[in-house]
Amino acid sequence: MHLFLMIGLVAFSIMAVLSRDLLRSAINLAVASIFLAIIFFRMNAVYAGVFEVSVVAGLITVLFITAIALTRGDQEVVENKRHLLIFPLFFLILVIIDILVMKNLLGKIPAMVSSETGTFGEVLWKQRTFDLIGQIGVIFAGVLAVLALFRQGEKNHHGGKE
Amino acid sequence: MNNMWILNMGFVALLICTGLYCLLTMKNMVKLLIGVEIIAKGITLALIASGYARDNMLVAQSLAITVIVVDVAVIATALAIIISINRHTKSLDVRKLTKLKG
Repeated sequence: MHLFLMIGLVAFSIMAVLSRDLLRSAINLAVASIFLAIIFFRMNAVYAGVFEVSVVAGLITVLFITAIALTRGDQEVVENKRHLLIFPLFFLILVIIDILVMKNLLGKIPAMVSSETGTFGEVLWKQRTFDLIGQIGVIFAGVLAVLALFRQGEKNHHGGKE
Repeated sequence: MNNMWILNMGFVALLICTGLYCLLTMKNMVKLLIGVEIIAKGITLALIASGYARDNMLVAQSLAITVIVVDVAVIATALAIIISINRHTKSLDVRKLTKLKG
């Protein structure tokens, strides 16, 4: 089951890259996120799974679809058609290298065990407080950047009309 | 448990390389962001898989959530920049960004 989910995740990610239609790419990416969230739930990472479903599969997909809708109707970007030939070759070589490297690592890494105590809230708020402050800073910076970019765009738009 | 971690890391490598391939070869700006998103997925999976192998899920989850939040801020800003560029060049092609005219 775990292997099937992983293969689904990689397959949908590849479809998102190779798909010609941007809307299909965004939807494939959302499906890959759902696969990743199921993997997280199976690994007992409930909070990360919830974030993955709600934020990545939900919010980022909405952002992508909005951006695609706002930029649609303009010239289509001509991608190189050789991708359909090159990518399978690249991926095959990658899988072979991956299998060889991982096969060599089997059994060589010692068991890693270190159990921790407390709840998720305690770890997030007490141990990782600096990360939270950084997150707040990044979100504010993002909001200000988006506001500045759109305001500048509107000014140029009005200037063009006059 | 350890062999499962190695299996997970194999898939993480596949995801990151797929994202890098997308970043290196695609010309569409939205596709480039999709590549960044795939790399972020790989990194989140690596964090959670390592936490699972080490029985250290709480710290791994809090780090994964940090990555997800930063990723959202990056994607939102990048999409706003792409829309702004699209208003000027009327295209999503990165090759058209080489001509900078004032």
